[in-house]
Amino acid sequence: MPEFRNYHLNFGPQHPAAHGVLRMVLELDGEVVVGADPHIGMLHRGTEKLAEDKKWMQSLPYMDRLDYVSSMCNEHAYCLALEKLLGIDVPIRARYIRVLFDEITRILNHLLWIGSHGLDVGAMSMVLYAFREREDLLDCYEAVSGTRVHAAYYRPGGVYRDLPDTMPKYAESKWKNAEKLKRLNAARSGSLLDFIDDFVARFPKRIDEYETLLTENRIWKQRLVNVGVVSRERALQLGFSGPMLRASGVEWDLRKTQPYEVYDRLDFGVPVGTVGDCYDRYLVRVEEMRQSTRLVKQCVDWLRANPGPVASDDCKAVAPPRAEMKSTIEGMIRHFKLFSEGFFVPEGEVYSAVEHPKGEFGVYAVSDGANKPYRLKIRSPGFAHLAAIGEMTQGHMIADVVTIIGSLDIVFGEIDR
Amino acid sequence: MNVMIMPRVAESLVQSLRDEFGERVSARVCLDGASIDVAASDYLEVMERLRDAPSFRFEQLIDVCGIDYSAYGKTPWPGRRFAVIVHLLSVSKNRRVRVRCFVPDDAFPSIPSISSIWNSADWFEREAFDLFGIVFTGHANLRRILTDYGFDGHPLRKDFPVSGKVEVRYDAELARVVSDPVSIAPRVITPRVFPE
Amino acid sequence: MHVERGDAARASDGLLTGLFEQGFVTTTADALINYVRTGSMWPVTFGLACCAIEMIHAGCSRYDLDRFGVIFRPSPRQSDLMIIAGTLTNKMAPALRRVYDQMAEPRWVISMGSCANGGGYYHSSYSVVRGCDRIVPVDVYIPGCPPTSEALIYGLLQLQNKIRRECTIAR
Repeated sequence: MPEFRNYHLNFGPQHPAAHGVLRMVLELDGEVVVGADPHIGMLHRGTEKLAEDKKWMQSLPYMDRLDYVSSMCNEHAYCLALEKLLGIDVPIRARYIRVLFDEITRILNHLLWIGSHGLDVGAMSMVLYAFREREDLLDCYEAVSGTRVHAAYYRPGGVYRDLPDTMPKYAESKWKNAEKLKRLNAARSGSLLDFIDDFVARFPKRIDEYETLLTENRIWKQRLVNVGVVSRERALQLGFSGPMLRASGVEWDLRKTQPYEVYDRLDFGVPVGTVGDCYDRYLVRVEEMRQSTRLVKQCVDWLRANPGPVASDDCKAVAPPRAEMKSTIEGMIRHFKLFSEGFFVPEGEVYSAVEHPKGEFGVYAVSDGANKPYRLKIRSPGFAHLAAIGEMTQGHMIADVVTIIGSLDIVFGEIDR
Repeated sequence: MNVMIMPRVAESLVQSLRDEFGERVSARVCLDGASIDVAASDYLEVMERLRDAPSFRFEQLIDVCGIDYSAYGKTPWPGRRFAVIVHLLSVSKNRRVRVRCFVPDDAFPSIPSISSIWNSADWFEREAFDLFGIVFTGHANLRRILTDYGFDGHPLRKDFPVSGKVEVRYDAELARVVSDPVSIAPRVITPRVFPE
Repeated sequence: MHVERGDAARASDGLLTGLFEQGFVTTTADALINYVRTGSMWPVTFGLACCAIEMIHAGCSRYDLDRFGVIFRPSPRQSDLMIIAGTLTNKMAPALRRVYDQMAEPRWVISMGSCANGGGYYHSSYSVVRGCDRIVPVDVYIPGCPPTSEALIYGLLQLQNKIRRECTIAR
């Protein structure tokens, strides 16, 4: 009988299913994975070092670029950390706006996940459906912040500006006649809140559509059910958080257990899995999209009824409104000081975490009293999740590795930082 | 845990930490909850009890990170240069704690690994080794993780230049990517200042 | 031989030089080659960072790059265009060059976003390549952080214009 030996396979860093720049050295026994050694750092940009070299405010846009799929949630953790260190209060309207956009971000993240995971496993059309809805939500991002991906909308002390009263509209062109234009602009005639309201009204039906395509699909279930099972104990031991932890049956959601902003006033449910396999993680994420839609609806209703300021007027760290800066000398001096020297953060250390779409995203900030951070550590959920991939893939077939990577929902911006 | 009741929870946690460990740790309430300092010699034992003692039950290790205090504050730093900071979370009791342990020996910092207590510490410790050069004894697989293959130095140490030491380019003659000494000079746009 | 240029020839952007009633057309080899090259630019799926999101958006429902004959291919062997979408780090540079070397000639490179153009927001970092043109030759640079999908499409159209000016036969 010939002698068989295990062999090594290099997966990535350029692989369409690697979700970015993951390199894995797989040890294989035939088609069965014996061990996996992920090599990360292909996107290590030195964010933590660069943040030490920049003023506190200048590091805020770095947060967007960590997990670039859910940028506003990253900013949220950073803003919460700074607000705790500075002792600033955030106006209630800004809190609702933040929750609104956190949930929009969660939907955006899960849509990208469901699309790309579908693509990896073989459901080609999912990505087209999911990105149709993502475009609408990116329009919301663009309406409030002016950019589609890296918003830099949350600021310490509130948000950059109030929600706009108008939405950008499609213009008439050679390819868009009046009839088509009317259809495209139907939801865009009112304010941003009207647009989101319209989205919330049609989105649950869209989720049903995705579920029709996937949930009971035979191939989908064959690829996902009982693949990459993580027990409750192992999930805790491995530092899982967010949907990964909940799929393993741990009822833990920072929005419920350690509520920040206004989550304790809102009504939503937390889905929990039972088995802890890839299919449970899929079901949890789909249900989270439904719950996020409910949260968005509640925020929209509240924001319609309650106008008010959206940024703290704390002179220490919050920039004055543009009008005040242009018209008063005090405003101008305050603006000049904040944007030249920056603001000083009292000595101290703080860890603040948010329920990011991928799990617990934390920012640990240490200040020694200067205008720049002394140390900024970013705790990304994906880092702990990816660390467990060796254990999760063991004994599975090589095709399941792709399924498991997909179900982790990893983004390299946050893992490599 | 709401912002209003958080200080009370932290105070009771600090009290129970003092009851459990006595003089061996210094526990205090800080902005975001409870924080303790522990000596390197007690580190492993304290960590194990934090996980297993029924009054704590910190099942989850959230984060391990290094810190280099050598440039801290306006006056020279009096204590040890490196510290390891661990964030723990108790899912069953809904509490957090931060553990700080100063690493003995500035020239060759080394501290026991806690990856056998919490498996998630594995990669976090590799990262702290990579970025700060802190050696975790007893770690099964202490390799660099984030920086380039063959990287020289530990980038998050305060004496490491932001722009690094090398930069890469493609060399057409050798037909491969080569690294040269870095060509850009560090530029300080806003100096690091303290309030008067 | 009676030669008459029809409307079709005038409308086809200088591609056809003669249209004969017998049912055949004439053109130059260069025009034909460039027509084929610009009509099916297949980029290798190579998302590095944030810009990859906009790149996928450009390929999906609203912007639909298929209209321009652009279809993402998973293998560099099947593609003739590389869109460097995101920050290129020192650790990734050899892999990027290897992917480029695997592509068949003729091949083009689009550098998408500030990070790929010159390091951008991460210019002074110890681990970032300050411009992907240090590693591979670049044809079109697209500014932005990230450039919108429209900007990427505009960049692709600019690359098509560049290819149209190339001459393979007549020198």
